[in-house]
Amino acid sequence: MIPVSAVPRRRSLASRAVGEGSALRRMDGILLVAVAALCVIGTMLVWSSTRTWASVEPTGLVKKHVLNLGIGSALLSAVALVDPHRLRAYAPVVYAVAMLALIVVVTPIGTTVNGSHSWIMLGGGFAMQPSELAKPALILLLAMLLAEPAEGTDRPKTLDIMFGLAAAGLAMALVMLQPDLGTTMVLSVITGGVLIFSGVRKRWIGLVLAAAVIGAGLVWSLGLLQPYQVARFTAFLNPASDPRGVGYNSTQALIAIGSGEVYGKGLFHGGQTTGRFVPEQHTDFIFTVAGEEFGFLGAATVIALLGVVLLRGLRIARACEDRFGALVAGGVVCWFAFQMFINVGMTIGIMPITGLPLPFVSYGGTATFANMIGIGFLQAIHIRERSYMG
Amino acid sequence: MLRLGDPSRRINVALVVMAFVLSLFAGRLVQLQGLDSRSFQAKAAQQRVQPETLPARRGSITDVNGHELALTSEAREIYLDPHEVRVSQRDLIATTLAAELGRPKEEIAAKLAQADKRYLVVAKDVDPLRARKIMGLGFRGVGSKATYRRLYPGGTLAGGLVGFVGDEGFGLEGLEQAYNKLLAGQDGQQSIEIGRDGQRIPMTRSTRVAPVPGRELRLTIDRYIQWAAQQAIAKQVKATGARSGSVIVMDTRTGQIIAMANAPEVDLRSWQKVTAEQRGNRAAAEVFEPGSTNKVITAAAALEAGVVAPGTIFRVPDNIQCADRTLRDAHPHPPEQMTYAEILGESSNVGTILAGQKITNQRLYDMFRSFGFGAKSGGALPGEEAGLLPKWQDWSGSQRCTIMYGQGISVTALQLASVYQTIANGGVRIAPSIVAGTTDQHDRLTPAAPGKPTRVISALTARQLTAMLEGAVSGQDGTGNAAAIDGYRVAGKTGTAMRYDQKCAGYCGYTATFVGFTPAEAPRLMALAVIQDPKKDHYGGTIAAPVFKDVMTFALKTKKIPPTGSTSVLP
Repeated sequence: MIPVSAVPRRRSLASRAVGEGSALRRMDGILLVAVAALCVIGTMLVWSSTRTWASVEPTGLVKKHVLNLGIGSALLSAVALVDPHRLRAYAPVVYAVAMLALIVVVTPIGTTVNGSHSWIMLGGGFAMQPSELAKPALILLLAMLLAEPAEGTDRPKTLDIMFGLAAAGLAMALVMLQPDLGTTMVLSVITGGVLIFSGVRKRWIGLVLAAAVIGAGLVWSLGLLQPYQVARFTAFLNPASDPRGVGYNSTQALIAIGSGEVYGKGLFHGGQTTGRFVPEQHTDFIFTVAGEEFGFLGAATVIALLGVVLLRGLRIARACEDRFGALVAGGVVCWFAFQMFINVGMTIGIMPITGLPLPFVSYGGTATFANMIGIGFLQAIHIRERSYMG
Repeated sequence: MLRLGDPSRRINVALVVMAFVLSLFAGRLVQLQGLDSRSFQAKAAQQRVQPETLPARRGSITDVNGHELALTSEAREIYLDPHEVRVSQRDLIATTLAAELGRPKEEIAAKLAQADKRYLVVAKDVDPLRARKIMGLGFRGVGSKATYRRLYPGGTLAGGLVGFVGDEGFGLEGLEQAYNKLLAGQDGQQSIEIGRDGQRIPMTRSTRVAPVPGRELRLTIDRYIQWAAQQAIAKQVKATGARSGSVIVMDTRTGQIIAMANAPEVDLRSWQKVTAEQRGNRAAAEVFEPGSTNKVITAAAALEAGVVAPGTIFRVPDNIQCADRTLRDAHPHPPEQMTYAEILGESSNVGTILAGQKITNQRLYDMFRSFGFGAKSGGALPGEEAGLLPKWQDWSGSQRCTIMYGQGISVTALQLASVYQTIANGGVRIAPSIVAGTTDQHDRLTPAAPGKPTRVISALTARQLTAMLEGAVSGQDGTGNAAAIDGYRVAGKTGTAMRYDQKCAGYCGYTATFVGFTPAEAPRLMALAVIQDPKKDHYGGTIAAPVFKDVMTFALKTKKIPPTGSTSVLP
């Protein structure tokens, strides 16, 4: 007979989650606040940019967005509670599932939206975009492969690097079949980032860079790009070349942001936004709403919050004693950083137009979930690190 | 414990890179939203803000009693937005609009087919009730815009004088043109913000500057007398096969024009069909040689100089040599003993020259000028001409003589009317006027400044001339007997001038005139009738005098001027 007191009392899931010394309480608060602030601002901007749509009721889309954020927050909490070791163990499975979903998408089961065959309709008005989930899945797999150093060194084994590059190549190839150039670029940046942070020799980095340049050159010269993608680059180099066509988005984005001036026109009072001059304003061009309605103060706040997210992510990566955790954190930061830079950069006219949403701010379902899972990874690593130290 | 020496440094590098990119963004934002924000603001406004003109309501033109000669009423412009029209409804819309607006169906169908267009006008000047009915059918892409239309309820009533407004809303002729600015008012402006889809952006401000309606122009014209004058001259022009004719009726004490009629008269309801040369206001715009009606000026100059009196006796042959020409009376006669009054009454050219030769050319010229020849009347009448009065230094040998009886100079009917107004008004000329005043939107009348008075001849000379002119109408051998009006004393003068015609490059046809005033003892009204190029008969005394009589009789009744007997107290 075992004395009752000898068996540790099983605490309820709720108390484990939010109770004294619970995992959730040990999360990175600053990171959480920054993400939450971005989500709140994003919700307002989505509301403002969709309330005049004729096809849905004024609050139709923003309600859906709030629901997505709710589901995303649940995912964040759930992932944050998982032990990183377990994440590492499940990495191959997660990757396999993600690749399977990508394969399903390119079959007739997938649906084409906006020229990209990247959606699976789930019914009930819900849809899924597997390429978004491929981002965290690839991070896990690459971190798992590259975290194990070769015997007697700090650097990953050559074989593991080869496996990693092959896994990344497969994911990118499947995404390119959709075709989705933006996500392919995110995946390549993630791969490069994890590779660099894993401590591979500089010649590997040079090799991968060279491969990327040659690959890009091949894609360009073999004409694998859609004409509209070529046009976007041309328009970026010379926006005046076609102000009503491809250059239109870019020009309109600048007008919306510039006309916001220092203090902005106020929520719901942006004439360019309400007049719907900027296309895709609730997703890819959401930053222009911030620029017009909240002005420089608002836009700078969004950039600062994004900076806080990246900074906390890098801090978590650096503080992590565990190589796997550090690489996951580094990969997540590279992912977010690239999307933020491309997205904000294109709306303010210093990057070419690429269809990438702004993390935590843009309207989106699967993208929101993926982003929250990414933050979940960061929090899980942070919590584990603190529990080791504690 | 595992240390990641190399990777940790790489993380630091990443940190620097990210900080750099983010500060780059912040810098770019400063540029866009701070330094360059004005130009973006302007571009945004240009894209969004659509200015719209709010048309001002044009003021009416009324007669002296406020009866409208020209007025503006609300109308609608029916337009199509073919881009918005459902293809399935095209045929129905074309059929319906064709029936409602009286336009060919094919024309409307052709407009509907231009699906890339956003604004095509189907019909202007549509009655608001009809427009409401059309809009009530709820066709998508069919719109109605508030406009105004100009109406001329009188048709030809004072047509040449009033003029008309063109399709663009500007006065093109007559008073509509001359007073366009006053009548038109000030258009307002409204700017609303329009989104990319062409819909108004909700929650945006709109600016509105209300239009200022035009002022109403009140004329000195009396529409009843105007109508009577038009009827009388039109009838006579037709009866004599004349080219055209005019009648002017004026208040002798104020210089206000009571009627200004022309034949043919412009029909303002279909002015588009009137040829350009027929559109003007002949009474003020057409110049002609006045003939014998001019003799009063020669008489005035001679009387004022004191070289003759009405009773001065002349021996008058039927011709006289003047420089290189032999000038004759209208009818041959043996040399006669005539008083100067008889010379004027019987309209002897030779007698007039005999009297006129007693004064210098300059004196004669100055008298013409004082009566207003060679200059516009000063009443700001639309389309007015100044006529042609050569300088006395330039008069040729015989011109000096012919000018005395009104050949070799040219005047307008209005200038001639002004001469008789002056005599009737005791020698004081008052610049003729057509505008009684203007009325603002609250119906407050601002009277026009009265015409400028100038003394031209002495009261005595005026009296003497009046008596002589009375003789021309009531005298046994007077040329103007046909102008006599029962119960009133009429003073007046006939004129039968050779008419200069550009087409035959010389004198072809005649100008028949009668101009006079009544009651002679205390003049109130003057009237002038002129008939150009009559084919049947051509004497002022036989064809113009009856028109004068008709119009003046009607005017006397309308103005309730009591009869005072038709016999002269003067010899």
